[in-house]
Amino acid sequence: MTTNEELTTPKAIGRGFNWQLFLQDNLTGSWMQTVTVLLLAIITGSYVYGKYEELPIVTAVVVALWILGIVSIIVSEIFHKPTAVSRWLKQNLLTSFANSLLTLFVVLVLVSAVNGIWQWSYVNANFNPAETAPEFRSANGATWGVLWGARKLLMTGWLEPIHSWRVWLGLGFILIMWLFTYITSRPALKEKLRVARMVLNGFWLLSPVVLYILLAGISEGAYNVTGTITGVAVLGAIYALLWSQKVIPFSWGSIIGTVVAWPLLYTIWWFIGNSGQFPPIDPDKWGGLLLTLIIASSVIVLAFPLGMILALARRSEVFGVPAWLIWPVAVAATLWGFTTTPELLATSRNLVEQIMSFWPVIILAIAYMIHRVFNGNIVAGVGTTFIELIRSVPLITLLFMGIVMAPFFSGEGVSIPKPWLVIVGYTLFSSAYMAEAIRGGLQAIPKGQYEASDALGFNGSQKMRFIILPQALRIVIPAIVGQFIGAFKSSSLVSIVGLFDFLGINRSIVSNPAWLGLRLELYVFMAIIYFTGSFLMSSYSRKLEVQLGLGDR
Amino acid sequence: MTQTPAAPSPEPQAMPLWRRLLGYIFDVRVLGVLGQMVFIVLVVLGVRTIGSNFADNAQRLGESQFICRDGNFSYRCAYDFMESESGFDIADTMIDHTNTDPYWKSFQVGVLNTLKVAIFGVILTTLLGTVMGIARLSNNWLISKIALWYVELMRNTPLLIQIFFIYFGVILTAPELNDALQPLGLPMFISRRGLNLPSLEFTSSASIWIAFLVLAAIQFQVTWVMLGRREERTGQASNRLQTGLIAFFLIAGLGWYVSSAVSDSQGLLVTKASRVRELGDLEKIMLQRTGANHLDDLARMPEEEVEDAAFQICAIEESASETNLTRQLSKLNVPYQIRRYERPDKATDSYASEKCEMFVASKTILAAERSTLESPSSHLILSVKEVPVVWSLPKREGLNLVGGSRMRPEFTALLLALVLFYGSNLAEIVRAGILAISKGQNEAARALGLTEGQRLQLIVLPQALRVIIPPGIGVALSLAKDTSLGIAIGFPDMYAVSYTTMNQSGRVLQLFVLIMLVYMLISLAFSVLLNWYNEKIKLVER
Repeated sequence: MTTNEELTTPKAIGRGFNWQLFLQDNLTGSWMQTVTVLLLAIITGSYVYGKYEELPIVTAVVVALWILGIVSIIVSEIFHKPTAVSRWLKQNLLTSFANSLLTLFVVLVLVSAVNGIWQWSYVNANFNPAETAPEFRSANGATWGVLWGARKLLMTGWLEPIHSWRVWLGLGFILIMWLFTYITSRPALKEKLRVARMVLNGFWLLSPVVLYILLAGISEGAYNVTGTITGVAVLGAIYALLWSQKVIPFSWGSIIGTVVAWPLLYTIWWFIGNSGQFPPIDPDKWGGLLLTLIIASSVIVLAFPLGMILALARRSEVFGVPAWLIWPVAVAATLWGFTTTPELLATSRNLVEQIMSFWPVIILAIAYMIHRVFNGNIVAGVGTTFIELIRSVPLITLLFMGIVMAPFFSGEGVSIPKPWLVIVGYTLFSSAYMAEAIRGGLQAIPKGQYEASDALGFNGSQKMRFIILPQALRIVIPAIVGQFIGAFKSSSLVSIVGLFDFLGINRSIVSNPAWLGLRLELYVFMAIIYFTGSFLMSSYSRKLEVQLGLGDR
Repeated sequence: MTQTPAAPSPEPQAMPLWRRLLGYIFDVRVLGVLGQMVFIVLVVLGVRTIGSNFADNAQRLGESQFICRDGNFSYRCAYDFMESESGFDIADTMIDHTNTDPYWKSFQVGVLNTLKVAIFGVILTTLLGTVMGIARLSNNWLISKIALWYVELMRNTPLLIQIFFIYFGVILTAPELNDALQPLGLPMFISRRGLNLPSLEFTSSASIWIAFLVLAAIQFQVTWVMLGRREERTGQASNRLQTGLIAFFLIAGLGWYVSSAVSDSQGLLVTKASRVRELGDLEKIMLQRTGANHLDDLARMPEEEVEDAAFQICAIEESASETNLTRQLSKLNVPYQIRRYERPDKATDSYASEKCEMFVASKTILAAERSTLESPSSHLILSVKEVPVVWSLPKREGLNLVGGSRMRPEFTALLLALVLFYGSNLAEIVRAGILAISKGQNEAARALGLTEGQRLQLIVLPQALRVIIPPGIGVALSLAKDTSLGIAIGFPDMYAVSYTTMNQSGRVLQLFVLIMLVYMLISLAFSVLLNWYNEKIKLVER
């Protein structure tokens, strides 16, 4: 900038304070801005006035601090010596007229809200568990004693006290496993403790069984020989399938392990059952946080593999059933179906039933869908239909269907405890969403990766196992953890269908005369627990993303 | 597809026949097709097992479920029960419903309630989500932190707890109706019985005005398109929005006057002896009654005297006629008192026994009611001037609140919780959408000399919306599905009504099929919308 220019533009920005520019920036830039600032000033002014009558000291302090902040900015601007505080205030809170007014308003609202919460939850609150009956309660204070008084119901529901040691044992088991996993995954120990980590992983795989034994128990019974042989056969078949697809290498150690695993574990199971140490607990007795955790973790554990299968099915590129096979079968089935139409037509009572008499048309429509939409690929067709059907209805209808409709569709004389039914319905629901999350990851893998693995001569299973899934699953970690959090939070919906989970148990708590109507305290406590759980999961997911270098590639 | 599967071997002739056949059979494609056929057979067998189980159980558990009127067992009679009397009342209805209506009607009420929550919810969620998404990016540290905590708090706690909290902790702890809160002096009241809000009431002339509104909208579109074409042809810039809006409001305003001048459906029934011939006469009569010189003097008179002299008017509950009349009476400054009756005949009885001097309703009702009076000829039906839409404000009358529309506590709680919860989801989507626009786009727009408004309208919004709308539609769909949680606090949505019906009639399967169908229709509508939008905004790639 030459001297000449400096002389002709004395009001250039950065050369001291220019009140005209300042006003234009803050107030008179446009008529919209003027109106906004004036409106804000009026609202803030009247609010400050109202608050001053209610809480004089606090309001005065807030306003004084606000003025002090503005003065400090003005002073630092005049003397060109911004301090750390005044710079931060200028950049973050008192940026402009409108922002300064907004800050004052919001601070006052916050102060009165925090004051209200503080008064309710501490100053006027009663913490004594023995004084929860209505006559001890203060007018506008919490009665926190209910949380301690009802702790057993909140945590385990109707579980008999003689069984609570099993819950503690389960909790201890999980905590110890976590502790060991944490220690062995330290970078310094990771290599040295390889064997320990493998054993630990084995225990993690077995942990559902351990927890089942602890929380559900095993009944006594005769040694089931056919079941054992079937188990060995199934495990062997899986091993053979994976080996023939060249996904796992063949080794004598692993095949012996596969064959021995089932009989060994079953024998241990049978011994535990016959020792009578872990008698069965009626799952309908589960309740409180225990039931919530059981439902949420079972759903998470079951929905993930099911969702993966569904996602792979939906994206499968199996050679479709050819049209010359679909249409003859469909037409034959339709013709066979039409033999019932005359009778239906004859007995129909109204237009809807007349139209319904032509039901075999649906078969043709399905054939058309398979042919055109899915190119004859029945696997993709069934996967897609299942996912879309489940996703279009609310969770609560599925839960209810699990409970109410199960007796209609199961065999005679079969009665299944409610928690299992709910878990099945919820798993179906969750797996459909999980499938969509995983499918997103599969689609995000560039086509080149698929083509490269084909070019390298990988077969379908190898391609998925070694190339696609490791990349795809890493991409969708945030989405999958989001689904886990959703499963944890939405497990509260089972309270609507009559289960006494963490949220549902408060029905029985607030109907107890000693704790009558103490809803808010319980809701606040539950919200805190749910918040903590979800927050921990999401921060763990963020940590995992950083560890895996997501977003860096 | 018709191509024959090729053998994997390059030289099939060199191989023995059995190897070649084996090659055909073990071809991946043949195996795939065979596998799919086995799969289909398994699916059909599974469905058959479940179906036969169901048929057995239907005979055993729910034989009554499929019994027709004539006593035969037939699956086609599954929905016959829906025509019988439901026998339960529904608290929150948009259409008239009594407990003698059939189950179909109740179901219809439930579906309408679900749609009501869903539509209001989607509108309010859009507003809140947008505001919060922008607040997350605010340069005011406090605002952005508050928005962040709002989002975190809402997203990390279950929706159901939020619903319970708002219902039991906020709505039901509000004051009783007689000392309802009136925030900031606005015409709205918050009480334990719900939220009383101002509402629009349509008189019978509204249909004419709405026709004019449609015309105005067409005019707006025409102006918009024509000016756009001229802009393209001549390059002459024009303010399309402003011109279009002027055209719109001209026609809408014209329609307002025409419809109020043309229509003559609102009436007031008075006795001939009262000497009232038009509304303006009321002032004279009031002055005679009170002996005042001017209506303004009434304010200085004792209250009881004015109350005694006030006109007693009969009206039908929640009718637009009443709002239309009282608006004009307040303008005239004439004191009046309204008595409200559920049905016209009760109001007529009251009028006939001279509990009130006038009866306001639409002219057709009045004509019918006049003929039931003892001497119809001694009564007159006066015309009351009407406007198409009347703004009805809630106000206190004694211990009660009248006027406006009342949102029931269950509805308010459900709507509030859904909006707060899904608002937080949408806020994150909006924030991501705005952040997705690269800095260069904004800088380029400024470099081209676009104004801030043009930059937002032409550069930022079209690109942000492309990112925001698809997941936004997903949020709307989730919201529509989660209205089913209303059952937890007793809001009679479709699911809750069906649940009651199930408990009463024992027909579980039938109702589930119905519920699923309605929800599937809703999600189908949403996915059609989504696909249409995706098709429309698809980037044209080379």
